Amino acid sequence: MRKLIPTFMSFLIILFVLSNVSAMEIIKLKMPKSNKIVVKVMFRNGSIADPVGKEGLTQATVSLMAQGAAGDLSYGEIQDKLYPWAAGYFGSVDKEVSVFTFQVPADFQKEFYVILRDVILNPAFNENDFKRVLTNQQNYVDQVIRASSDEVYSKKVLEDHLFRGTNYQHMKQGKSASVASITLDDIKNHYKNYFTKNNVTVGIAGNYSEEILKMLESDMAKLPDDVPSIPAPGKTNQPNGIEVEIIAKEGAFGSAIFTGAPLSITRSDDEFAALMVANSWMGEHRKSYSRLYQKIRQARSMNYGDYSYIEWYDNGGGFQLPPSGVPRQSSYWSIWIRPVQIAKQLKAQYEELADINIGHAHFALRMAIREFDLILKNGMTKEAFEETRTFLRSYIKLYAQTPADQLGWLMDSRFYNRENYLKEIDMLLEKLTLEDVNKAIHKHWQVNNMYIAIVTDVSEAEPLAKSLKDNTDSPMSYSNLVKSGLPKDVLAEDDVVASQKLNIKSVKIVKSADTFK
Amino acid sequence: MKGKPILFICIILLVFSLSMIVIAGGKILPYPIQQHKLDNGLNVVTVQFDSPGLAAFYIVVRTGARNEVEKGVTGFAHFFEHMMFRGTDKYPKEKYSAILKSTGAAANANTSKDRTVYHVTGNAEKLETLLELESDRFKNLNYSVHGFKTEAGAVKGEYTKNYASPYARIREKTVDVAFKVHTYQHTTMGFFDDILDMPNQYEYSQKFFKRYYSPEYCTIVVVGDVTAEKVNKLAQKYFGDWETGSHTDNIPVEPEQKETRFAHLQDGSIPPFFALQYKGPAFSDKEIDMPALDVLSSIVFSQTSDLYKKLVYNERKVRFLGGGAADSRDPYLFGINVSMVDKADMQYVKDEIVKKLNEVKSNGVDKDILAKTKSNLKYRYAMSIDNPSRIANSLCRYIALTGDPESLNRLYALYDKVTIDDVKMVANKYFSADALTIATISADEEGGLK
Repeated sequence: MRKLIPTFMSFLIILFVLSNVSAMEIIKLKMPKSNKIVVKVMFRNGSIADPVGKEGLTQATVSLMAQGAAGDLSYGEIQDKLYPWAAGYFGSVDKEVSVFTFQVPADFQKEFYVILRDVILNPAFNENDFKRVLTNQQNYVDQVIRASSDEVYSKKVLEDHLFRGTNYQHMKQGKSASVASITLDDIKNHYKNYFTKNNVTVGIAGNYSEEILKMLESDMAKLPDDVPSIPAPGKTNQPNGIEVEIIAKEGAFGSAIFTGAPLSITRSDDEFAALMVANSWMGEHRKSYSRLYQKIRQARSMNYGDYSYIEWYDNGGGFQLPPSGVPRQSSYWSIWIRPVQIAKQLKAQYEELADINIGHAHFALRMAIREFDLILKNGMTKEAFEETRTFLRSYIKLYAQTPADQLGWLMDSRFYNRENYLKEIDMLLEKLTLEDVNKAIHKHWQVNNMYIAIVTDVSEAEPLAKSLKDNTDSPMSYSNLVKSGLPKDVLAEDDVVASQKLNIKSVKIVKSADTFK
Repeated sequence: MKGKPILFICIILLVFSLSMIVIAGGKILPYPIQQHKLDNGLNVVTVQFDSPGLAAFYIVVRTGARNEVEKGVTGFAHFFEHMMFRGTDKYPKEKYSAILKSTGAAANANTSKDRTVYHVTGNAEKLETLLELESDRFKNLNYSVHGFKTEAGAVKGEYTKNYASPYARIREKTVDVAFKVHTYQHTTMGFFDDILDMPNQYEYSQKFFKRYYSPEYCTIVVVGDVTAEKVNKLAQKYFGDWETGSHTDNIPVEPEQKETRFAHLQDGSIPPFFALQYKGPAFSDKEIDMPALDVLSSIVFSQTSDLYKKLVYNERKVRFLGGGAADSRDPYLFGINVSMVDKADMQYVKDEIVKKLNEVKSNGVDKDILAKTKSNLKYRYAMSIDNPSRIANSLCRYIALTGDPESLNRLYALYDKVTIDDVKMVANKYFSADALTIATISADEEGGLK
């Protein structure tokens, strides 16, 4: 039966793809007062379309289209043309889609359109551009991912574990060996097979002319007519208890933590609205009024922030509001604990902590997981439910403030088989009851089975691994000057948290150099 | 038929607003900036923008790392931004959070060299609630000693998060070398030793609040579905009784640099990197220097430049190349950042950059490219202002620099006046080896770049 599921999924995807053959639908958002136009071209492919051994191929193809020659013009000549208009475009890849976004002042839309058309229909794929683009991608997988942000690193390690063995496992940029094996011919073939009129959605916003619209409609229909065989998206693995991977990195300042567990619903499901309310209350992204933030950051100042998610949130360190263009069918819920202190740093700062064995990672994890345990036991209160719903119904209106964002959210809506997700989710929120939310919490959240990724200093890795594995008590190590002023209820709660048992079944230490091989 | 006159008016308005972009001397912001100063010195700025039901409400405080003149308390402007969320008697932090949540707004704050900005974007109908809430904490902030000490941990957490990046670490080293006296010597986060000592500085924090969180240091900016009349009335109601302060800073003047300086970070975890940091001018909306440098940086270092095409596209020795001057209240740095493919080519690439700058010193730049650059600067800005937050943010940038949001319009008018001789002049004035700090990141023990 299990084997039949992917086959059935593929059948559904082909059905979806074929349904698009009949007409090239353009999502239109006319804004006569705008001084620009935005065009988005979204392909249903993404990194799941990378062949085994060639992971990173979709990213390389998109990068070469967006940063290479097109039509008769070299990439340098294209830049020359765009320069006085301040026009531009870029391509982005996620697991299941690739999106090209073009932007130009309305004054120059006609001249710009020729470039847009050639980037999509006539990429030149020349050798020199290929070498440049691939060198950057190789640098990223070899070095940049491990060196720039421990937070992003821990998130990618988590996904590597959650989706191990599936087409969702690898980073969109690929792996060291796979990127090295990508050839220009691979890219040309990938373009021909996976960037077709049968898996494209096109959108246009702003003050565009009818002429541009007509050209866009007729030109995008000239994409290859092949039906791409996009594999069914990989599903999350089922963790056996709590499985931890600690990445030991030379010179890390703190412990960066991400947890994740399978989630069966997405924006396609009406039930998503219920879980959205619970999640917002628990850990709304970058908001000081959520529970995790108040417990870990505000009361104890253990780090910069703590949030939870019920879908992929791209570039959480950069975006305050969720971006469009990264829709996914395979989902997981997660907790993001921003870097907490390690023993080495705490000992250097406070004499009274000279004897500690580990920093704050174990305690922070216990505290975050306990909060989920508590909501599972107690449910949301009526008051919290009402406050959070009211907040969300206003807040989601801020997601799409610019023409590009509005278009992006509309195009994502189609991915989830919705007409206008932001409007529909508001209607679902309006109808929601507290009972719906508490039901969703019980159905989708649990605290005994999850993956945890921790990027930390080499000095912290071993003692932290031992502490987690043995479920050793991990009392919070405050400095004297903070501890002396802490309210009794905080200290009492700390005692409970310090000995909270976690269902940890495995803890593995991986050297930083050995990740994403 | 009914729609046609409206469409016609829209077209006329659009043609008008776009022609504003290209008419020399016209205002780059196609919406009037309405300013109203309260008796206590608080400036209130309103820009009406067509964003039905939506408004952005910003408060810019003209204090940042630059104002941290005393020893041992660097990083305090940023630390104080954190403290502003610790509550008042009327609205303790939990109540503040609950009310903010009830508005459904997106709120946050950030600090940089010259300013601290607090911002909220949300339902325009909630403006009064938000003004009341913000006025209370700006006038009556009251945090406990314990709350203060605790918050210092979050600041260290932020440092821990940021300093995973080697680029952040080399930045910290570079400014420390490039400046000897001026407060730009430390980053906005502050010296690490000062961050560690923050929990012990409660009394200084009280002094800091009194000094800078007063009307003459602050400006309110509201952009969106609002009228100036309403904003001014609400500002008077909630901020009118805020007492004017009396503090003035004595920011030390950086002596002229007379030798090339060096900063190096030994780190082989990222591709080799170097930066050439020349001492640049302070921002001005009257002098031609900064606009001319902006034009120069776009011509010499953007993706269309000959240098970029040669080093990045053709020779592929460089992964990324960028350059430009950071706007600041006092003279700061013009930085050229280069991410290399191979460390062995570093000296060659550096020499090519210097060679190009020398060419500009002697020959200036091409007339046609100068015109295209002016067009690029204007269209880039015009396309960027497509929501209330972005407009408010750009106004705050200029308020921080000069105190006057009209500096935005004056700067873009100055861009129009930049000549080839101006570009030559600034190249000769600022790109000298004596005013240079060379920063490098590589696996080697020393930078090795001459």
